[in-house]
Amino acid sequence: MAVLEIKNLHVSIEDKEILKGVNLKMQTGEIHAIMGPNGTGKSTLSAAIMGHPSYEVTEGEVLLDGENVLEMEVDERARAGLFLAVQYPSEIAGITNAEFMRAAINSRREDDDKMGVMDFITKLDEKMAVLDMPEEMAERYLNEGFSGGEKKRNEILQLMMIEPTFAILDEIDSGLDIDALQVVSKGVNAMRGEGFGSLIITHYQRLLNYITPDVVHIMMDGRVVKTGGADLSKQLEAEGYKGLMEELGLDIEIEED
Amino acid sequence: METKTKDYVSYSDALQAFSRGLKEPEWMLQLRLDALDKIEDLNLPVIERLRYNRWPLFQVPDLTGAPAPKTIDPFEFIEDKADAARVIQTGNDTVIETLPESLKEKGVIFTDMHTALRDHPELVKEAYMSKAVKPDTNKITAFHAAFMNSGLFLYVPKNVVIEEPLEAIFIQNSLVEDAFIKHVLIYADTNSSFNYVEKFLTKGNKKNAGNIVVEVVTKAGAQIKFSAVDQLGENSTVYFNRKGYTFRDSSIDWAIGAMNTGNVICDFDTDLVGEGSASDLKAVGISSGRQTQVIDSNVVNIGRNTTGNIFQHGVILDRATLTFNGIGHILNGAKGADAQQESRVLMLSDKARGDANPILLIEENDVTAGHAASVGRVDPEEMYYLMSRGIEKSEAERLVIRGFLGKVISAIPLRSMRDDLVQTIERKLTSR
Repeated sequence: MAVLEIKNLHVSIEDKEILKGVNLKMQTGEIHAIMGPNGTGKSTLSAAIMGHPSYEVTEGEVLLDGENVLEMEVDERARAGLFLAVQYPSEIAGITNAEFMRAAINSRREDDDKMGVMDFITKLDEKMAVLDMPEEMAERYLNEGFSGGEKKRNEILQLMMIEPTFAILDEIDSGLDIDALQVVSKGVNAMRGEGFGSLIITHYQRLLNYITPDVVHIMMDGRVVKTGGADLSKQLEAEGYKGLMEELGLDIEIEED
Repeated sequence: METKTKDYVSYSDALQAFSRGLKEPEWMLQLRLDALDKIEDLNLPVIERLRYNRWPLFQVPDLTGAPAPKTIDPFEFIEDKADAARVIQTGNDTVIETLPESLKEKGVIFTDMHTALRDHPELVKEAYMSKAVKPDTNKITAFHAAFMNSGLFLYVPKNVVIEEPLEAIFIQNSLVEDAFIKHVLIYADTNSSFNYVEKFLTKGNKKNAGNIVVEVVTKAGAQIKFSAVDQLGENSTVYFNRKGYTFRDSSIDWAIGAMNTGNVICDFDTDLVGEGSASDLKAVGISSGRQTQVIDSNVVNIGRNTTGNIFQHGVILDRATLTFNGIGHILNGAKGADAQQESRVLMLSDKARGDANPILLIEENDVTAGHAASVGRVDPEEMYYLMSRGIEKSEAERLVIRGFLGKVISAIPLRSMRDDLVQTIERKLTSR
């Protein structure tokens, strides 16, 4: 069992503090959801954990099995077991999707244990079938000219190919129609198991109808303000963030959609 | 190797003997002698952002017609392929020439220039230095016209469509001191359609000049996909001129990798003459060491509704220089013309010098034109994304660069050529 623990995390972007002390602990076998209004720091949290160069961690720790990942380079964090699926991945012409994924998988393996082409293709075909992706997408350039839905499926495909210990999904559901949402959820649910944990960041409850979380955290104004079970997201759907704020006695300005 | 650069006319007798020795037609000899007369009076072409008047470009070739004292084994560079359509030349000699029977029957001509001048003089004359590149354009073209010492002629007759690429490989013989004055003439007759790929290499380390002219003339409705990988050597100083000339509704798509290691001027030009004709140029370049490469792409829209695109991406390492000039010139009367260009340079060293220089010259109102240019470093967002999947920084950088150069790679139809370009890029990048 692996443990991911975020302790008193403070993060700034261009000298503006976005995260003001986030605490969260999860372990493999669990799926956690983070919900919260726009502009509350959910995406900042995911970017800071992965090590995006624009985000500055001013205080706190992110521990993966006791090791502080904040001291690692981005690629080291990934090889340690972290994965971040994003809404708007980079488009990189000239590198095929398949070539990229094979490089990613083999970056985790020793020189004498690289994944061969045949094994790779077999696994790729299998995962692409789960996600209902046409074969030709493997040979297209990485995200280039992909629609929003294709990009998100492709993020989940990478997740399934790389098989990380902890995956953070940053608003992977936004802009997806019901069919695409079901496919993406199918991919994540297929990963569910003892050796895998996921932190799902979402603005809407909708995705959680397909992927039932074990734990739900509500974030507002740079902090986790409430933690509960799957019911919490349903309560939120019914009462809205305003209702929750009243209950918690918070006075925070939130951006409406 | 020191040759006097003044007294070109003194070569008149030697040149006549050279031409007669090759049994060239009279018009060819006359073209040589006329050009010889003009070399002195003509100026060097102006290449933006480059001073090259001290480059040793004017090396008079050996005109004795004697075989080179040292020869090259072509199989050091190529695989044996029996039934491909290809011509392989080492130095001035043609060592392999194969053309499938089916193409011969259709009237396709794919042979060395000397043979073509003997067997098909009138056909060569129709296009040789009379449309795309004229002998009196500048000092270099006149020198070329006078001293051209080997080359290739490709003719594809009317309505002939060829699926398999025609391939040419030219290996400069720098085991000996001799100028490399190569002429490739591609003449695509009405409504023909084909792929042509060519490769330029150097064997040996002698300091030699190259003066290479590749002319592509497309008659009405002809469609050509032209790709090239240039890998001339460190001690080769070269002026490289590829030029297209398009008749009505014809098109030339160029995909060129400038992977030379010496100082090279690449003049990649197209005159869009006929109404509705088009040219799409994709060029990539890598400069490394202390070399200078200038890619000077000049597309002239002459006919109505002509379309000219220039797309150039390059990478600079070490202390090298790489300059992209993109010149889109729309002449008065070219109504409905479109000229677009993008030039981007990626610098991987603090000592590298790069330039992306877009020039649009527009003399007509009813046209569309656009340009984009940048000189910069590897995009940190792309690096972050790749590294966030576990890929190490050096590997991520390599992938981004390959991606950056990828558009040209994917435009090359022949797999072996594509792989060759990829390997050349990898080799250049890993030698840092």
